Amino acid sequence: MLKVMGLTKSFGKLVAVNNLSFTVSEGERVAIIGPNGAGKTTTFNLITGHLKPDRGVVEFYGRNITGLKPYKICRAGIGRTFQIVRAFPDFTVFEHVLVGAISRYGPRAQMDLLKNQAENVIQKLGLSAKKNTLVRNLTIVDKKRVELATALALKPKLLLLDELMAGLNPTEIDEYIELLKRLNEEDGITLIVVEHVMRAVMKLCNRIIVMHYGTKLAEGTPMEIATNRDVIEAYLGEGVTYA
Amino acid sequence: MVSRNKSNINSFRMRLFYPRAIRFLPIVVIMVILITLPLYASSYIVFVAAIALLYAIVAAGYDVLLGYTGQLSFCQGAFYGIGAYTSAILTVNYGWSFWQAMPVAVLFVGLISAIIGYPALRLRGAYFAVTTFFLAHFVYLIFLNEVSLTGGPLGFRGIRPPEPIGPLSFEGIANGYLLILFSFIIIFILLRMLVNSNIGLILKSIAQDDVLAESIGINVAAYKLLSFVISAIVAGYAGTLFAHFFGILHPTTFSWFLSEMVVIMTLVGGAGTLIGPILGAGIVTFILEFLRFAPEIRYIAWAIALIAILMFEPKGLMGLLKRMGVR
Repeated sequence: MLKVMGLTKSFGKLVAVNNLSFTVSEGERVAIIGPNGAGKTTTFNLITGHLKPDRGVVEFYGRNITGLKPYKICRAGIGRTFQIVRAFPDFTVFEHVLVGAISRYGPRAQMDLLKNQAENVIQKLGLSAKKNTLVRNLTIVDKKRVELATALALKPKLLLLDELMAGLNPTEIDEYIELLKRLNEEDGITLIVVEHVMRAVMKLCNRIIVMHYGTKLAEGTPMEIATNRDVIEAYLGEGVTYA
Repeated sequence: MVSRNKSNINSFRMRLFYPRAIRFLPIVVIMVILITLPLYASSYIVFVAAIALLYAIVAAGYDVLLGYTGQLSFCQGAFYGIGAYTSAILTVNYGWSFWQAMPVAVLFVGLISAIIGYPALRLRGAYFAVTTFFLAHFVYLIFLNEVSLTGGPLGFRGIRPPEPIGPLSFEGIANGYLLILFSFIIIFILLRMLVNSNIGLILKSIAQDDVLAESIGINVAAYKLLSFVISAIVAGYAGTLFAHFFGILHPTTFSWFLSEMVVIMTLVGGAGTLIGPILGAGIVTFILEFLRFAPEIRYIAWAIALIAILMFEPKGLMGLLKRMGVR
């Protein structure tokens, strides 16, 4: 469904993403991993239109979406969350998710439909108790949850999650893994995650792309990546084996 | 920050001590006072009230842009003036009736604001604000210097009041005032419906984080333009009323000073509340009249008022009322 070909983006002399190509098929759960500054978030920003690539093409269901405005890419069916959490602080949780549903179905859609859609997602993410809380009064963890809920209210086909699990405790991580698996299997949402929590990556994803200095270092199943010598040296450090 | 809990308690207390009907009492009292004003007040008071209501219309429309969409601009005076001069020129020079000229003038203001807003809104924050500031000055210079069209510094004279509709006459201060009051009520209701609608929610999301709004599929540029044009046509409509109520137009009325005043009214009253800017318009008009004998003091008064607001209650008068527990 998603095809990235020869994507390149430089900031001044720094080549953040260098001739990156990969494809993602419908229903996959793909992780992009790599050391800090490897170009993972830049790749997300290039796919979602927040940055324009210097070279390269992004295709979604065979349609060239390179350099389109972010709202058009979102409407094509690609949702995202941000590495540094973004939220509308003065909305209640319900309003926050509702605005996603309004964006998806248009402001003239039936109010019942929009409210149901928002309620469903809020319930799915376990936010029902905080429905009327102002987003500014939530913890970072809950803000991330609201951001994800809003992205889900848009009914995306592909979801890009940027370090969703950073700062969570192991129980919360397990909850998220279950949730994301359900979204993938039951709602058919294809996932691409950028994640530093290796345990989550290994449990959740069926394919891993390793980036290093803006290029693709390796690609394969979690088992292949965990035993790949280049990856172990570049990412985990020389002489360390992944247990 | 008022937490949800506290405001719940507040509203509970309100319900306990004031039944629903009593909470609407202030609105009813104010409406009765405003409607019956010409019966007992001097024509000077009615005249000042009419001007205040016109400013209230402009400020309420501007609140859609500043308070709800979060875009600071300084050109409401220009749109007010374009509405006034267009309607005046069409009626006086071309013999149109007010009821023909008014909608055309309002559409013309909408068109101008769209043409200007489309490129200007690509700029963000202060850059956009500065652009609109110069737009306002540019329009003022046209009013001042295009003598053949606007009469220039001598003013534009001979504008008649709106033609009567059946038994309803709009001649004289009292009747003109009632037309303005009626327009104010209708526009307030329409704007309130807008900001409480789904579109209003979209506008509020843009004010809070336009990057996130864009990334959840909202066409941010289009909605910013929509709210810019709405605020402009409301100002333009108020301008047409002003022209036919006042009878004479002078360029200085539409100088940068008016645009600044509208911003101050909105901030003093409380941006993003719709009622706040209306209260702000009332207060500012009153102070303007009060200081008529010494125009220079006005500037100092504004500076002090604005600094005080920003220091003590950035959410304006409405924020102050809310903090005191009045809802």
